[in-house]
Amino acid sequence: MGDSNTVVITGMGAVSPYGRGVETFWDGLLNARPCMHTVPELEALPLVQTKVAATVPPEDYSFIARKYRRGMSRMGLYAYCAAQEALKQAGYDQAPAHLGFFMGSTLNSISVWLELASYSQGAHLEMIKTSDFLQIMNHSPLAGVCQALKINGPAMGNSEACATGLMNIGLGFMAIRSGLVSQALCGGTEEYHPMFSACFDIMQATSKNANDCPDTACRPFDKSRTGLVVAEGCGLVFMESKQSALARGATVLAEVLGFYANTETENMAFPSALTLQRCMQGALDACGVRPEQVDLLNAHATGTIAGDIAETQAAQAVFGPQLRINSLKGHIGHTMGASGSLESIACVNMLARQTVLPTKNLCQPDERCAALAYQTAVQKTPLRIVLKNSFAIGGNNCSLLLRRPE
Amino acid sequence: MITREEIIKHTNEALEKEFEFRAEQLVPSARLRDDLGLDSLDALDMVVVLEQQFGVTLRQGYDLRTIITLEDLYNFIEKIAREHNK
Repeated sequence: MGDSNTVVITGMGAVSPYGRGVETFWDGLLNARPCMHTVPELEALPLVQTKVAATVPPEDYSFIARKYRRGMSRMGLYAYCAAQEALKQAGYDQAPAHLGFFMGSTLNSISVWLELASYSQGAHLEMIKTSDFLQIMNHSPLAGVCQALKINGPAMGNSEACATGLMNIGLGFMAIRSGLVSQALCGGTEEYHPMFSACFDIMQATSKNANDCPDTACRPFDKSRTGLVVAEGCGLVFMESKQSALARGATVLAEVLGFYANTETENMAFPSALTLQRCMQGALDACGVRPEQVDLLNAHATGTIAGDIAETQAAQAVFGPQLRINSLKGHIGHTMGASGSLESIACVNMLARQTVLPTKNLCQPDERCAALAYQTAVQKTPLRIVLKNSFAIGGNNCSLLLRRPE
Repeated sequence: MITREEIIKHTNEALEKEFEFRAEQLVPSARLRDDLGLDSLDALDMVVVLEQQFGVTLRQGYDLRTIITLEDLYNFIEKIAREHNK
């Protein structure tokens, strides 16, 4: 494949429950640092069984000019920080001309929406400010970061709930391949609100049995798992054609080999193993990679009973039982719209450091999950190709293949 | 009837909170756009927060082009407050 058709990652930016920065994120993952906590609003709700979340530590964001900050809810602030970090690592103090920006979230800021709703209940809709509206547009974080960092290429806010981050990487990949742009920032951002926990709770998808020990609450693949822990953050990757990276002497962190997406049409909340199998196979077929060439699957695996079973069954059908698999939701919970891109950043780091992270809190794999090589400890090992999955409620699935630079 | 001093105090408090100004920036001669950096969207939000602060309607008859400085703003609010209390 020619350099103009090859897409590479040359920068990354992260805001995670461990705090700001890709290095902070990696350090937290590598050392399995605690980041989950109980949420007072959930503790006050007797019918909501989950009480735990993983949120970004509070920070002072006043370093962002008020003119730009006025249109940013928390997820916009996270996106600003991640975008700036990714640009810097890619070698830019300012956004290059015609940079594409592909980023979305599951919902917009629920906190700001509820503030507006309170105006409404008090018959004071007249008191709405322009800055309120600037914070609750579906593409507010995208628009806000474009203004603040002067990103002037095509900006599109793609939103598919928990697959948003990875879908946007896929969208950027296609945009670069098509020639629409030669460089793009891609990923997802999300801010926590207890409503997310309550919604997943009523769907019986949340973790319930570890409220007194928050950091063991999410246990992907484990026999004792009960569900997911809702989290927040932002992950953005700076992608460009290999031709562009070579021309400007940029350091290539990873190559994006292939992307595939499909949709489950039988059930919005429970993807079938067959649909997931087709998604992973599609990513392999898209770039001519054979199953045995994949060294690791970084699974979507949120820690729900049904989701983990379906994904492992699908993975075994495609790759066989020797496939090494991990999930990072035990460390940081489910950062929803940010999860696909944040976890892709972790994948790039695993490739760069030739280190496989374990699935935190995985002690005894559930026998209902398909037999695979479940990673339970940090391991230094040769890694060349990693597959990343993201699946969304709504039935939207996607898989991305990353390769260590040759 | 609200006094001129109260208008200045409450206006400045609202602007400090909404636009993160320091008290020493808010001198009567400060120009809203050129010195304080308020743009057209800020000007609209300023009306909303001042209406809340004073409990009067300012948006009708409000014309930013005629309100250049903080002094102009105090004068405008004082005029509206006086009419409101008639």
